[in-house]
Amino acid sequence: MKATIAQYYAGDSLLHRLDPRAKFVAVSALAVALFVRDSFAGLAVYAAAAVLAYALSGVPVAWFWRAFRPLLWLVALTFVAQVVFAPGDPFFSFWFIHLSWRGLELAAFLSLRLVVLVLVGSVLTLTTPSMALTDGLAWLGRPLRRLRVPTDELALMVTIALRFIPTLLVELDTIMRAQRARGADFRHGGLGERTRSLVPVLVPLFVLSFRRADELALAMEARCYRPGAVRTRLHPLRAGWSDFALLVVTAAVIAAGLLV
Amino acid sequence: MSGSKAVAGATPDEPREPAVPGSSGMSLACADVSFSYEEARAPIPAVRDVSFELPAGGSLALMGASGSGKSTLLQVVRGLDAPDTGAVLLDGAAPVDAGYAALQREVGLVFQAPELQLFAATAREDVAFGPRRLGWPEEQVTAAVDTALDVVGLPPAHFAERHPYSLSGGEQRRLALAGVLAMRPRLLLLDEPFVSLDPGTRRQLVGILERLKAAGVTLLLATHDVDLAWALCDELLVLGEGRLVAAGPWDFSTAGGRLLAENRLREPFFVELWRRLGRDPQRAPRSASAAAEALS
Amino acid sequence: MSSSPDETAPLFDISGLHYRYAGAQADALADLDLTVHEGEFVAVLGANGSGKSTLARLLGGLEKPTAARHALACGHDLLVEDGRLSARRDVGVLFQNPENQLVAQCVEDDVAFGLENLAWPAADMRRRVDAMLARFGLEELRRREPHMLSGGQKQRTALAGVIAVPRRVLVLDEPTAMLDPAGRDEVLMAVREMHADGLAVVYITQEMDEAVGADRVVVLGGGTEAYAGTAAGLFADAVRVRRLGLGLPAAGELALALAERGHALRGLPLTIDELLAALGDAP
Repeated sequence: MKATIAQYYAGDSLLHRLDPRAKFVAVSALAVALFVRDSFAGLAVYAAAAVLAYALSGVPVAWFWRAFRPLLWLVALTFVAQVVFAPGDPFFSFWFIHLSWRGLELAAFLSLRLVVLVLVGSVLTLTTPSMALTDGLAWLGRPLRRLRVPTDELALMVTIALRFIPTLLVELDTIMRAQRARGADFRHGGLGERTRSLVPVLVPLFVLSFRRADELALAMEARCYRPGAVRTRLHPLRAGWSDFALLVVTAAVIAAGLLV
Repeated sequence: MSGSKAVAGATPDEPREPAVPGSSGMSLACADVSFSYEEARAPIPAVRDVSFELPAGGSLALMGASGSGKSTLLQVVRGLDAPDTGAVLLDGAAPVDAGYAALQREVGLVFQAPELQLFAATAREDVAFGPRRLGWPEEQVTAAVDTALDVVGLPPAHFAERHPYSLSGGEQRRLALAGVLAMRPRLLLLDEPFVSLDPGTRRQLVGILERLKAAGVTLLLATHDVDLAWALCDELLVLGEGRLVAAGPWDFSTAGGRLLAENRLREPFFVELWRRLGRDPQRAPRSASAAAEALS
Repeated sequence: MSSSPDETAPLFDISGLHYRYAGAQADALADLDLTVHEGEFVAVLGANGSGKSTLARLLGGLEKPTAARHALACGHDLLVEDGRLSARRDVGVLFQNPENQLVAQCVEDDVAFGLENLAWPAADMRRRVDAMLARFGLEELRRREPHMLSGGQKQRTALAGVIAVPRRVLVLDEPTAMLDPAGRDEVLMAVREMHADGLAVVYITQEMDEAVGADRVVVLGGGTEAYAGTAAGLFADAVRVRRLGLGLPAAGELALALAERGHALRGLPLTIDELLAALGDAP
């Protein structure tokens, strides 16, 4: 099993205790600012804010690093693509590769921006259980209910999907093992051959998922779930002064980044 | 394929009892086997420094609480995971020896959940999957499938063309077993084969395993059911948190009893009965009929 | 909580119940009668595919019976939609596979799920959930994700979630089948405690020795009632037991083998203590 995006780290920091709605708004605003502002100075301000926020979260660096490591490829790819294809007067040329100072600068900027963006997003997912996050999103999406979008039901669906991702990964692994034990080979052969060998893997996975969906729906109904009915929550969303403060601080950081 | 030769080589001395696939059993030895998954958070237990020997044709019950590493050990023995340290010896051959891969193909592993193992459109196609991967000629595959279906009590005439998912839970379990038996394993690894079967289907499965044992197939059986383990297996191996707690013949001395209790296992019924009757628990019977014989 | 119109009426009062899955050729359940009273512990046995799980779904108001003379659960009519919805509140159903019952991403949220659906106020819910966590020994695990729990812990979480909603009767569909002996003991102990507290239990199982202590045993065979009575009465007819795909407890199996050798014991022992006593009496 591989970690996907930075997963929630159970903790009790200031950031953990903030309302998911406030965190989501703050992080989204910061992400937009990151894209709008294209100077190293602005980037430096946002990077500093992101590092500070991460430090406040109390999440061990190793935890973050494990999730971030696979993304290094993406950063490296961004860098290389920019270096190779960026405009500017080349100081070095070979075949289709033209290195220019302008290109290097742009590559550094874009890959750094990507790193900061990931860090900002991670602070959100590291300190907010995905259930709280979906609850927050459902609340923010409430105006859509006027358009008959079932936001609460969608939020519950997302929660359940997230809950079952680890389970599905384990099952997928077991299915492949059972077939490898009978001589299946997923590692060798041509692309077509390997694709064909995946069919017997997907069949049981689908059958199992349908059965699971059926059993899960029953178990939910057995616990009195009715789509559309009014529900309360064990952890109701409660915004306080600290959430308001977060928004003010974020606004200040964004403004600072835009002005420097 | 190199595998077909090795497997074909195993067939000549076989059909004394044609209803049972496989031939002379394979011996197994684990020498200081350790294995753990990279992702420490994954709920897949590790195995540490496990050593034991299982002679050809022997039968060993693998017991321990859930999460003690039983399934992991079975998968390492089958070669689905290479041990971090130590080695799995098959018929005395180490992984570096020539022909080891062919020996690995003679190790059959039946996973716990049948629905994770069945995928083809018919029972016949499903069972044929393994033999075809061994590169057997089609007529040999057909024969192997028919035999395997017969052995597990799913006569081909009735079941070969059925869709695997249209079968009952017990039938699916037996079909998954057939899919492994069709490859004529000389060492059979079973992961919790009795879970959620009714007593009648359990009896059938015990009968099948007894016949395989009589035909010389080596059995390594992971189970929670101490009574069925006692009925089927000569020896016992207990894992606790990935480490070997006990291995060898069943031991119902005071120390052995304590060891079972510490690992949240109880004594088999007949052993408890023999002890309470003041008889030697070490010589307790393995079945009701043997017990009745001794008591009459 | 909805109250039943008559507190002395049976919790389940079912007669002539039929159920057929859409597109199936035959009834999964046919002409079934079942009555369960307050405080009873009823074991339901039957081979794989005998209709046990279908029965659990029907009793919980989770499926609509195809037909029935009458089908009442805690006074609610299972034949009508509103009755089934009310029945879901009074009848708790626990299924075999704990993996497929846990909805939330941590233990305490899952225990709260039923109360959330009934729109309990957050403070009441907090108290009730904490009480459930304490009762099932889950306090330390409250923030744990489901996939990081052992099988026994998962099933205890699911049970706590079912019981968190105040229930009048509990239907358990092979709740220990997928657990190791330790996990099985954990769940059995919790169920016995709840029964001792006065909750009626319908316990569906494949384990014959789990049925021995029940007030009553009902056996399903081919979708209908093949036996109803005491455990001793069921196991007394070994031929019928085998024909139904069941077995005897080990003690009974041995007594039978002795009888075949001409050494019949007095009575049919079902536990090791009864067996030892009978062997002591034997000449």
